[in-house]
Amino acid sequence: MSSINYRQVKHLLWRAGFGPQASSLDLLNRRTPEEVLNQLLEDSDVRESVLFSDMIAGNTGEEIQNRNQMSGVERQMLQMNDRKFVRSINVAWVRRMATHPAQLREKMTLFWHDHFACRLVLPRLVQLQQNTLRVHALGKFGDLLKAISYDPGMLQFLNNQQNRKSHPNENFARELLELFTLGRGHYTETDIKEAARAFTGWGFNRKGEFVFKSRQHDYEPKRFLGKRGNFDGDDILNILLEQGRTAYHLTEKIYRYFVHPEPVHEVVQQWADVFYNSDYDIALLMKTIFSSAHFYESRNMGARIKSPIEYLAGMMRGMAMQIPNKEGILLIQKVLDQVLLQPPNVAGWPDGTNWINGTSLMMRMKIPQALILGKEVKFKPRAAFAGNEEGIQIQGRMARLLQTNINWNLLHKQTRKLGEADTVEAMREFLLQVEAPHLNWERISPYLGNSDKGMQFKLLCMRLICTPEYQMC
Amino acid sequence: MSNRRDFLKLSSLASASVLMPGFLRAMRFHPLAKEGKKLVVIQWSGGNDGLNCLVPFEDDRYYQARPTLGISPDKVLKLNDYQGFNPALAPLRELYDQGYMSLINSVGYPNPDRSHFRSMDIWHTASGSDQYWDSGWLGRYLDHSCSGCAKPHTVLEIDESLSLAVKGEHHSAIAVTDPRRLHRNTQDPWLVSLSNEGQQAAHPDLGFLYKTMTETIESAEYIHAQHKIHRSTIDYPKGNPLARQLKLVAELINSGAETSVYYTSLPGFDTHVNQRNKQNRLLGQYADAVAAFVKDLKQNHQLDNTVIMTFSEFGRRVDQNASGGTDHGKANSLFLIGGQLRTPGFVNAAPDLGNLDDGDVSWEIDFRRIYATLLKDWLGADDEAILQGHFKGLRLV
Repeated sequence: MSSINYRQVKHLLWRAGFGPQASSLDLLNRRTPEEVLNQLLEDSDVRESVLFSDMIAGNTGEEIQNRNQMSGVERQMLQMNDRKFVRSINVAWVRRMATHPAQLREKMTLFWHDHFACRLVLPRLVQLQQNTLRVHALGKFGDLLKAISYDPGMLQFLNNQQNRKSHPNENFARELLELFTLGRGHYTETDIKEAARAFTGWGFNRKGEFVFKSRQHDYEPKRFLGKRGNFDGDDILNILLEQGRTAYHLTEKIYRYFVHPEPVHEVVQQWADVFYNSDYDIALLMKTIFSSAHFYESRNMGARIKSPIEYLAGMMRGMAMQIPNKEGILLIQKVLDQVLLQPPNVAGWPDGTNWINGTSLMMRMKIPQALILGKEVKFKPRAAFAGNEEGIQIQGRMARLLQTNINWNLLHKQTRKLGEADTVEAMREFLLQVEAPHLNWERISPYLGNSDKGMQFKLLCMRLICTPEYQMC
Repeated sequence: MSNRRDFLKLSSLASASVLMPGFLRAMRFHPLAKEGKKLVVIQWSGGNDGLNCLVPFEDDRYYQARPTLGISPDKVLKLNDYQGFNPALAPLRELYDQGYMSLINSVGYPNPDRSHFRSMDIWHTASGSDQYWDSGWLGRYLDHSCSGCAKPHTVLEIDESLSLAVKGEHHSAIAVTDPRRLHRNTQDPWLVSLSNEGQQAAHPDLGFLYKTMTETIESAEYIHAQHKIHRSTIDYPKGNPLARQLKLVAELINSGAETSVYYTSLPGFDTHVNQRNKQNRLLGQYADAVAAFVKDLKQNHQLDNTVIMTFSEFGRRVDQNASGGTDHGKANSLFLIGGQLRTPGFVNAAPDLGNLDDGDVSWEIDFRRIYATLLKDWLGADDEAILQGHFKGLRLV
């Protein structure tokens, strides 16, 4: 079962998506990484921009306008409603990650959500931005960068609405250079000031549409990255895309996220050249990475600590698990410290070992007991410290919130013919991304109870998931 | 990051520790803080309105800005000629009179941010407002404490999960609300067996996971054993979330636990609407809880070894809003409580309401100067390494 091919296919599925599906357990061994990659690219070629559209009905831009004239109580009611919408988008997205065939597009959308990290309150702006990220997730990075620079949510989050000729606000320009394109240390403070001037007057109206306020725009010449001209925002974006450094910075970040937390410079440079020379073709870059020999080196397999979202969506996918209660899906994100659509700040979520401390690790070992066995576990998320920004208040018993439907048959039927030791091995190879020969029948059997085979199988899955090894992908 | 050999060494210690009696195991841990000094942080989450805590009752501009929300001079508990407590803070009056409180006005930082999240991040990480840091100041206190001997329970957060303040680059605190439950959770036989066996980690990050698991099991045992030693005999107020946290802290301090920092919080201060009742209720809970806590520490001769710092991520606007509340502002007051304060009473002058920053109290004392003072003068830690810069100390502890 544990052929090199099988491990490589799973490696690809974990990095380019949210892991293998329970239903494909017996297929995995029969397909090559090339075949799976081609399938992933094909499945991700959809460009749906209508995601979540049904939820936003009635939530029109006019409300942005009226809000200022409302009483405090009215505004609070509206904010509660807004939070409900945003939570629905969150949950719909997690479920989509767990089930949708366009795995690579969803994974890239998550990556770009982390890269262009915004924390927005108005559902309409959240949805607009989500669709922008999703549509361009595998397109040209230049198109994505431009779309996000015109995005009302981004302009709001980084205060460009207040960026006027008379009183420039540098926030957007600073993050554009530091986080979105060049990276720290590759520009001067003057470049930031000049870029900010070029974006003066970029804002949005009360309907949540981009507007260029020409009276607030600074039309005087600017000097930026050694060039001089009457630059506007579009010119600045084009100059940034001309810099090889932008391609390197992005490729390095993609390497850390998709390959290994510690980049190999020569490889990054080689892929950055591919990216730059293809006019920043994201799909081509990802294809180059996922079909390279380097990607499949043993150093890179199982070397990544799953983010809470990868942990959650991956478990739902791998165990054919549905979590019907929305609050349950939110609760897990909250206790593990990664709530989609609520990144901590514009720099996104700190990755890797930052996810892990004694408390979060114990949570990762407790949550499966509730999800898989329906055990009551006692924990609650941190109290929301700010009524009008934080969205999640969890009510009710954990066992109810975390109640699941698992299609045990899917998993069980594929191992039913195997003996005990082989079953352990088969499930270990399916669930874990690092080699863990010590987790064998002798080791695990004392912890499987004495009950029927079905229950033993459930316990086996749970024990394998409650390991440090399962946290890696 | 530990390498494999370190990890194996550590895990063999861990398995031995299971067999070792509690008192022997306790000796393996070395106290970090200077002469057993304790720091207790209380976080007022949501942006507490400092102007209605320390009321500038002699300033007409305060009453003009707050026609209905202002607290009239006859109700204020006057502490000096100019400022006094909100009457909800009455239980703290005695502490103030005994010289157990230092009140610091106008604490903040340059280029303040009015978002809860961003501003709390800045307070937690001690970064500048244009920097994004991944680790918290008390987490880095763990990182920089006598390398290798910092245990997760050196810093305890009394909550279900960790806030950024107590997450370091290499080490993090441990979260506990109920030591028995924490112990039970970590004593899962499957986890203990994995931890005892150790693992030849294929990747450094996997080694880190095993190390974290082992340390957590050890710390949970330690906290569980310690908290049973001393049971508080003081009556703590019932139904008061902060009192519950502080009672556990007192039991651990009074039992001689080697924890040097405790992190607690009281949420709900985001009072945009009908502020008066909400804030008074929260301040009442705060004052009742702290009064009982101080009494408990004093009775056990621990008040001289303890400093309590209370802060919020920002203050609120000087003008009240149209909903009987206040919106997000900037600088705020910060309280220190302890038996050995060097500047009891008011440390600096009241905020100048004639010189506002866009309608907000302007900052006068950078909060990182207070952190630096507590780290250096109280905990005996390397403040410059932890705060990644020099912040001039104050005469506080």
